[in-house]
Amino acid sequence: MSTQAIESLSEDTVRRIADERDEPEWLLETRLNALSALETAELPDVIQTPGRRWTDLEALDFESLVDPVNQSDTTERTVGDDEVVVLPFTEAFDEYGEVIEANFGSVLDPEHNYLTALSVALFTTGTFVYVPEGVDVEDVTVRAEMNSRSLFSQTLVVAEESSSVTILESIESGDSEVDEDRYFSNLVEIAAGENASVQFGSLQNLDDDTYTYSLKRADVGVYGTVDWIESNFGSKLTRSDVESELNGDGAESQIVGTFFGTDDQHFDINARVWHQAEHTTADLVTRGVLDDVARSVYEGVQDVGNDAWNTSSYQRENTLMLSDDAEADASPKLIIHNHDTEASHSATVGQVDAEDLFYLESRSIDSLTARNMLVEGFFVPVLEEIAVDEFRDDVEELVFERLQ
Amino acid sequence: MATLEINDLHARVAEEDGERILRGVDLTVESGDIHALMGPNGSGKSTLAKVIAGHPAYEVTGGEILLHLDEEDVADIDAELDDEDYHWKLLELEPNERAALGIFLGFQYPAEIEGVTMTNFLRQALNAKADEREELFEDEDEESAEADDDDENEGYETSPMEGPADDGEIGVAEFQEILSEKMELLDMDEKFMQRYLNAGFSGGEKKQNEVLQAAMLEPAVAVLDEIDSGLDIDRLQDVSKGINALRDEQGTGVLQITHYQRILDYVEPDHVHVMLDGEVVKSGGAELAEKLEDKGYDWVREDAFEAA
Repeated sequence: MSTQAIESLSEDTVRRIADERDEPEWLLETRLNALSALETAELPDVIQTPGRRWTDLEALDFESLVDPVNQSDTTERTVGDDEVVVLPFTEAFDEYGEVIEANFGSVLDPEHNYLTALSVALFTTGTFVYVPEGVDVEDVTVRAEMNSRSLFSQTLVVAEESSSVTILESIESGDSEVDEDRYFSNLVEIAAGENASVQFGSLQNLDDDTYTYSLKRADVGVYGTVDWIESNFGSKLTRSDVESELNGDGAESQIVGTFFGTDDQHFDINARVWHQAEHTTADLVTRGVLDDVARSVYEGVQDVGNDAWNTSSYQRENTLMLSDDAEADASPKLIIHNHDTEASHSATVGQVDAEDLFYLESRSIDSLTARNMLVEGFFVPVLEEIAVDEFRDDVEELVFERLQ
Repeated sequence: MATLEINDLHARVAEEDGERILRGVDLTVESGDIHALMGPNGSGKSTLAKVIAGHPAYEVTGGEILLHLDEEDVADIDAELDDEDYHWKLLELEPNERAALGIFLGFQYPAEIEGVTMTNFLRQALNAKADEREELFEDEDEESAEADDDDENEGYETSPMEGPADDGEIGVAEFQEILSEKMELLDMDEKFMQRYLNAGFSGGEKKQNEVLQAAMLEPAVAVLDEIDSGLDIDRLQDVSKGINALRDEQGTGVLQITHYQRILDYVEPDHVHVMLDGEVVKSGGAELAEKLEDKGYDWVREDAFEAA
């Protein structure tokens, strides 16, 4: 593989991380396998248009970005109900070792690509969430601050039959001495059992020295539901993939995305769903705003498999440009192998409507305020999809902050 | 008592080789009067309305638009005023400043704005008008002293999604009271207020909403562009009631652009003007509208041609 080897990365480093965390043998094996997979693993695919490769992951200097042994974070996990387990892995192995071993890497293959393998080999933070059968919990929050040069996070959610859980995670940059480029990697896998319901909201607001890679994937069982909310506001460059495999009959997933780029921020946003069973439903809704010289590239994929009879699948993406120098590309893709499908997909890139602006101005509202009202209004249809008030408020606040 | 005075106004579409549309419009509208502006399609009526409000799609190539105010029109202003504060050249002002001075444009095709509720929009507009007026009429020497503060106060402090903060110029209770009253007059359901601005409104609802906004903003002069088009008879009566109330209760001067005699049965004009090829070529009383209804515009064209 063309990706550069990282000098500081050795089997010893990985053993040291696993040792310090007192991890079981199987996890060390998983890490070491991931490490050796780096030799052949490829970087994630990125969108290419004629003459242009939108997100240049090859250019990332992992040698200087990755500092495996000095990872540091401050993570606060809160849960309103003790029937659900919300722990760092290190505290969960003793009691829940078997559940973790059975599910870890089952949804998201550690060797999926170079960046996932790197992340699994090196992760030092993250959360294990276990919702036993029939348990219904609303308010799990995981608020993390990244304090080091690089940070690798791994989250596993296991939701058993007929359980229900709402999880909100946020990641920000903590106070630190680091003023160089930084790297944050966040892998999340969700195993949602029969009739289980998981809502997972993620809010990324890292500082503008940070490169962020995030891959979240769910395996949704019979009559299960996994709803994602993926909000990206921070980072210099963000590559975000949110994916649902609808593996059980009647499974459902919604992927709601928001992003807001200013200055020279770059967002590579991806939402994908695989319909693999009968009567499954997916709804992909993303809205983003770009100002200054910010860029975004979006790919949405709805893949309807051979056996996915009676599929419903919808996708829409809208990008609003506030500056003539911002750039956006969007490719909504619909792949249908079973024609018993009701589906739609669309994407638009547009500017603030001049007539809308004039209408507000003609009512005494100055042009900047009018524009800001229209931008906030633009996000409302996606905000309305967010059932969790706290999360919606956070997103609103971040939108508001970015409107000068 | 306010007067909108338009002198020899020329305007064209603001693009290269843009079409000349207004070719010397003269028109004066005083508050308390209802003017009907009629004319065939393409004569420039809607363009005139938009140019008065400051639409960026048109470029003014000659003439002026003046707004004269008197004591009554600035009763809300505390600052000490000089002569300049009573006479404004609208072409030098931004659309929102014109609106704050008391110009209202009722749109023929109001914008549909997703995500901004009627309540938030109206409160934002009322507060913006009050703020903008304060700025426009501010004492000269205070202006420079406050310039520094303005940087910090720029932008807006309340999110339209949350609704403006309660410390705005207009209190919630007062706002609701005024609003309920105006909506009742227009026979509008209170549910309107939770809907997004014009989004999914029927043609008739949009027109009612334009009149409602005029009633809330209490303009000196309201230019209503084909407010009567596409209305059924019941709604036409509601809208007409609203327009008459603008004049009777607030002393608003109304410039009503219309194709049809029909609305003039309910909103009786004091003056009727005919526009042809970008000029006002004939003015008269209510009887002129009836004559136009009977005979069309050809005779006006012939008259104008002979006079020329």
